[in-house]
Amino acid sequence: MQQQTSFQAYSPQQAQPGVQKTSGGKIRIGHRRTQRQTRLFFAAAAVLFLVCLSLLDLSWEQFRSGIAGLPDIMSKVMTISFHAFPALLDGMVTSLIIAFLTVVISVVISILLAFLIAENITPFKWAGRALRVVLLVIRTVPTTIWVLLAVASMGFGSMAGVLGLIFPTSSYLIKSFAAQIEESGDDNIEAMRAVGASWLQIVFKGLLPNLLLSFLAIISFRFEMEVAETVMLGMVGAGGIGVLLQDYISYYEFADLAMGIIIVFVTIFAVELISNRVRSRLARR
Amino acid sequence: MSQVVTPHIQQRQKKAKHMVSLALLAGALAFSIWYVKFDLIEFISGIPLFLNFLFTDFLPPNFANMDSYLRPVLDTLIFAVVGTFISSALGLVIAFLMARNTAPHPAVRIVLRGIVSFVRNVPFLVWASLLVVIFGVGAMPGLFSLLVFGTCFLARVYAESIEELDKEATEALEASGATYGQIIKHAIIPQFMPGYFSWTLFMFEINIRASAILGLVGAGGIGSNLKQSLDLFQYSRASMIIVILIVLILAVEFLTQRIRERIL
Repeated sequence: MQQQTSFQAYSPQQAQPGVQKTSGGKIRIGHRRTQRQTRLFFAAAAVLFLVCLSLLDLSWEQFRSGIAGLPDIMSKVMTISFHAFPALLDGMVTSLIIAFLTVVISVVISILLAFLIAENITPFKWAGRALRVVLLVIRTVPTTIWVLLAVASMGFGSMAGVLGLIFPTSSYLIKSFAAQIEESGDDNIEAMRAVGASWLQIVFKGLLPNLLLSFLAIISFRFEMEVAETVMLGMVGAGGIGVLLQDYISYYEFADLAMGIIIVFVTIFAVELISNRVRSRLARR
Repeated sequence: MSQVVTPHIQQRQKKAKHMVSLALLAGALAFSIWYVKFDLIEFISGIPLFLNFLFTDFLPPNFANMDSYLRPVLDTLIFAVVGTFISSALGLVIAFLMARNTAPHPAVRIVLRGIVSFVRNVPFLVWASLLVVIFGVGAMPGLFSLLVFGTCFLARVYAESIEELDKEATEALEASGATYGQIIKHAIIPQFMPGYFSWTLFMFEINIRASAILGLVGAGGIGSNLKQSLDLFQYSRASMIIVILIVLILAVEFLTQRIRERIL
């Protein structure tokens, strides 16, 4: 294909043991091992995919009837109605408030526990380690399942939402805060220990003031996630806009549903924008 | 004179700012508590009830009929694998059309960006539940919602990592007269590979969690068994499912971590 350069034409093959020539006369430039691993990865993925696809029982009939019903649903969705607007707005505000309350309560819990877990400041090493394992388990259970459990114990409503969300949120915040504390270095702690500061003094006078900004960045990121989460949670009965969305979906009120989806989209988009702004401003300080 | 005063005033201003933001926070809290009629006493008394519920009603998990969980677990894994595979392929195509340095035309980029951001910003359980209405209960809506959400998520993160690549290689190839396809193949893809692997593996982890949740709105997988057993108050069965889920997620995380270490 490509014309051989004079360098290629005249260079003797033995002089360059690192460069392999393929039959096409091109010089291979890729890294051998990387290429092999890439191929292996894709081959394994393809085999896995085909095996899984054969195990999946999808019925063509179901697909066709679903597609056939699609134009009807789409035309209903397109007639967006403002009829449910006040109710949806109320639901969205409730969702936002659930997210806000959860984050506030979780921050209070997490700031206390993060200092217990961070390796460089923890007063009891074994307690920190034990707590780490508990947090890992809490974090592994999906958020929605936590809320489902809270709903099963407290009944439907926004309080169950807050209670269910506190567990995964706190566990996330504790982990991130602890990572920040550990990253902030031991110099401060050592210096304060040397002058005889107590544990509380080290935490509140030495570490917290410096860490406040990075904590705020983490909190704003988590709040962003939390809002999306609260919308989903409503769908399992924990209050907020999700309850309405689930109702509209199950009663086939697609015009109201379209309005709800738009409100959710605008809100989450706005929250994301604001939290990005906050974080970039915090980073500049 | 002014040099002496300024820090003092600055400090005061800073203090005032702090006070204002604290007051705003307190105001927002008060408004929130009033708006959702949040009963603090009931809430605090609910916590021990909840823990009691967790530890007495839920634990210990019921280890009987383990093989009845096998099929849902397998389904969940299958969803995640198929969903990740297809959405990584679709996401890749969309990402190339969407990233600033590889988009063929700005209009394509803007339209795709709009669609992707719309789908991504509406929580995926909403899409799942809508697809359940369209296709009926079963595996199909679950798989489709994973596909829709996964494709949009991956398209965005792929596009971001493509935009972050160095321009030198692209420029060098452009200068030597390479076509669009050649630039993609020789300049973009080799650099983008690590990002592609790590995001795809991350998507697989997300998909495992997501397909566990999907069942809650009737879209198949292990979540539907969980919902069923909670609705029937079979709490020990539900806790067994949660235990299985924890093991499954941790195993997958461990596995992807190992693959990541090998490949990157």
